[in-house]
Amino acid sequence: MIPRLSFALCWVMLSLALLFLFTPIVIVVAVSFTESAVFSFPPQGFSLKWYYSIRNADGLLASAWLSAQVAFISTLISLVLGTLCAIAVVRRMVPGGDVIATFMASPLMIPGLVLGIAFLQAARLVGLNDAYTTLLVAHVVLTMPFIMRTVLASLSMFDFSMVDAARMLGCSYPRALWRVLVPNILPGVMSGALFAFIASFDNYPISIFLVDVHTKTLPIQLLNQLEMSPDPTVAATSALLILATVLALIVCDRLVGLKRMTTI
Amino acid sequence: MTTIEMRTQAEAQPRRRFFQLDTPAIMVLPGIVFMVVAFAIPVLILVADSFRDAGGFSIGGYRKVLGDPYYIGIIWNSLQLGLITTIGSLLIGYPAAFALSRAPARLQVLLFALIFLPLTVSIIVKTFGLAIMMRRDGILNWLLLNVGFIDRPMRLVFTEFALYFGMINVFLPLMILPIYSVMRQLDPRLTDAAASLGAGPVTTFRRVTLPLTMPGVVAGISLVFSISVAAYVTPGLLIGDRFMTMSQVMAKAYLNIRDFNLGASMAVVMLVIAVTIVFTSTYFAEPASRRGRKG
Amino acid sequence: MNLVATEAARERAASANKRYLDVAAVTKRFGTATVLQDLNISVARSEFISLLGPSGCGKTTLLRLIAGLMKPDGGRIAINGSDLTQVPAHKRNIGVVFQNYALFPHLTVEQNVAFGLEAQRTPKAEIGARVQNALALVRMQAFAERRISALSGGQQQRVAVARALVVKPSLLLLDEPFSALDRKLRETMQIELRHLLRDLEITSIFVTHDQDEALVMSDRIAVMNEGRIEQLGTPDEVYSAPASLHVLEFVGQSTRIGGTADASALNGTASVETPLGKILAPLHDGSGVSGKVVLGVRPECIALGERPDANFNEISAELTDIVFFGSKTALHFQPPGADDRIQVEVARVPSGIAQGVALKLYWPISETMVYPAP
Repeated sequence: MIPRLSFALCWVMLSLALLFLFTPIVIVVAVSFTESAVFSFPPQGFSLKWYYSIRNADGLLASAWLSAQVAFISTLISLVLGTLCAIAVVRRMVPGGDVIATFMASPLMIPGLVLGIAFLQAARLVGLNDAYTTLLVAHVVLTMPFIMRTVLASLSMFDFSMVDAARMLGCSYPRALWRVLVPNILPGVMSGALFAFIASFDNYPISIFLVDVHTKTLPIQLLNQLEMSPDPTVAATSALLILATVLALIVCDRLVGLKRMTTI
Repeated sequence: MTTIEMRTQAEAQPRRRFFQLDTPAIMVLPGIVFMVVAFAIPVLILVADSFRDAGGFSIGGYRKVLGDPYYIGIIWNSLQLGLITTIGSLLIGYPAAFALSRAPARLQVLLFALIFLPLTVSIIVKTFGLAIMMRRDGILNWLLLNVGFIDRPMRLVFTEFALYFGMINVFLPLMILPIYSVMRQLDPRLTDAAASLGAGPVTTFRRVTLPLTMPGVVAGISLVFSISVAAYVTPGLLIGDRFMTMSQVMAKAYLNIRDFNLGASMAVVMLVIAVTIVFTSTYFAEPASRRGRKG
Repeated sequence: MNLVATEAARERAASANKRYLDVAAVTKRFGTATVLQDLNISVARSEFISLLGPSGCGKTTLLRLIAGLMKPDGGRIAINGSDLTQVPAHKRNIGVVFQNYALFPHLTVEQNVAFGLEAQRTPKAEIGARVQNALALVRMQAFAERRISALSGGQQQRVAVARALVVKPSLLLLDEPFSALDRKLRETMQIELRHLLRDLEITSIFVTHDQDEALVMSDRIAVMNEGRIEQLGTPDEVYSAPASLHVLEFVGQSTRIGGTADASALNGTASVETPLGKILAPLHDGSGVSGKVVLGVRPECIALGERPDANFNEISAELTDIVFFGSKTALHFQPPGADDRIQVEVARVPSGIAQGVALKLYWPISETMVYPAP
């Protein structure tokens, strides 16, 4: 009796948790279609006007574009630097591989605000005034752990004798890497890159110390907007962000399988 | 023939280290150098800054942060925020993870995706939704009114209830996923075996299920606690200055009042807390996981 | 029966090009450790040679040097007269079956087999037919569309063999390909693979640490130890006339008795003083031994009872264990004053024998092997 009851209770808990998790997300989407200028629930009427107003909203599109650039470029840099490092560590080509791996992944353990302040101080010290460059450097540090962890995990599951096998079958070393290593670790690496991109795109605590008036990332612009002129334009922007995330996840699921992506 | 060999050897030797594709140094150095310059050195500078003010070496910042009851209260607020968020997430997350791990395979994939999806949605977006939810004319008040718990709308936003409600909402998936990943690997026959040996459900849970899932619980706790203790966006939007945390003080010290010594000291205190959590959790996860493997 | 096979192997080795693969004075160092030192080995065309030795003896290193996956620090490797030492791995046209098969999990069975042909830019039309042929050879046509992960261990091994053979390699290298299979399947696959390679007349080098495997499959066995080849010979030669104490210990069961050899060896026979009494051993090619030596005897040479004449050695020892194997029974004896037990194999346990009884044992002097003590 007790096991059955507690098992049922677990299911109730899971259902409530899902309801709890999705309510705010659904509400944001619902509010973005409202007609009135205040956030009321249930939403009044239906309109797409807040979506049109994104274009006119001050700096929203520009900051979205900036965030996308910073996230993309920093993920790419981390991907190159991190993958090279991970290969050397997994192949035991350098001494102290564990230390290197821990070090490269350690920014994840440090609170975002602390990192942000550290970057701010350091940039000031070396006289780096360009917000764009500072953001980019900071976001490479931010994205590195995601890349490092997933690439290390995919590489450690990769059997390097496959590269030897490809060479023996007539592929030169670079070609063997391309034909065998790349397709096998790509799923893991891509999921790591996706997480890194999301982490960068969504980052607030680091970026807040590094932006200036002309260079604002989307999360900062959004929060500004919320504090200054809260209207459903923010909800429309958020709804688009949710849509983009869902699409990215679906694409990843088709390519990799969500399950495999998150267990790595 | 011997001379020919000697020559090829001599030629091959110097080439090998520097121009091959898989030369180790060329592979690791760019990444390491970048991370040392852009990450390790800035953090060290921050630590150094916390011991310095305009007049040189000083522990004034620490005296303020660790001596002034106001700042001690703030540190306590942060710890309380982390603690309550963690406990709340654990109470909901553990049973939810259990149900998830026992779901039929196809449903499990779907449910897993549903738990995972909110994690990828921007924290600002979620917090924004939570704030709307908790407005006087929001869905939460509407629900409470209709169920009959209250007879007129309550003010929810900018209360501690709103804070914890929101924090748990944002961080719950980070508790469920690590616990789930351990539970999924747990053999259901173990609990059956315990039951067949005459253990009651409570004993079975306490002696078998809980110890075996402990690594996941430790991972979830350390993850949720370390992130929520340093949370900035969600508390800022849901309660604001009414509940000052270390994060708020740090941000204010740098962005508004420009007291860098205070900010750096607070940052180092938070750094110490974060590092402590990581080390404590690895310490606790180790014997627990070993126990789990033995069982 | 064994003799016939040996004769056949000898003939084949003699008639074909005896130095098809030629490894000359190859040296390989890792840092300060020398793994192979001036190693020489020649393999005849369509011969099957095993490199047998304990782990760390350098057999896998030798295989990788031949494959071109490593560069030697000195020496020369040639196939059919052409020097390959400076030729990169992908241009050597050598097939390899790896220990864990190294099949490509992102490709199907068919695509795995076609991989080498595509890499060598074989015309598309030809690829299909050759892949089908190769799969037919290992009886895997029905699995062409399968993913690698959907195959059993034995099936994976067949695919790996097909993938290595489809490119018509000039040499096939096998790196412990049976170690991942269970015992029963292993025996089937050994015989299957041996037949296939014999039919195709592929020159093969097979790395293993399993002496049974080497004895069953090989034309010749190279027993390796500490970077050297201690003996190169037919399975029969390696088993019945081990060139060194290490070979004796590594290949087959044996009883070893330590003793001191009399300096005056008479008419090609050494007289060795042991804790069990005086034991005689023949000396080959006039080599004299003196001082500390180790004597070796194979279990099947030892018989129970008193020796019929002076051509046999005789000792007496206490029976400690009777181990039943089905087709044979092993009797373990503990001789007084020796650490090594003596093992005797009999088809059936004679009546009136029990543990704890002291018995007389004898074996031909000609079957006694003698080596200098290490």
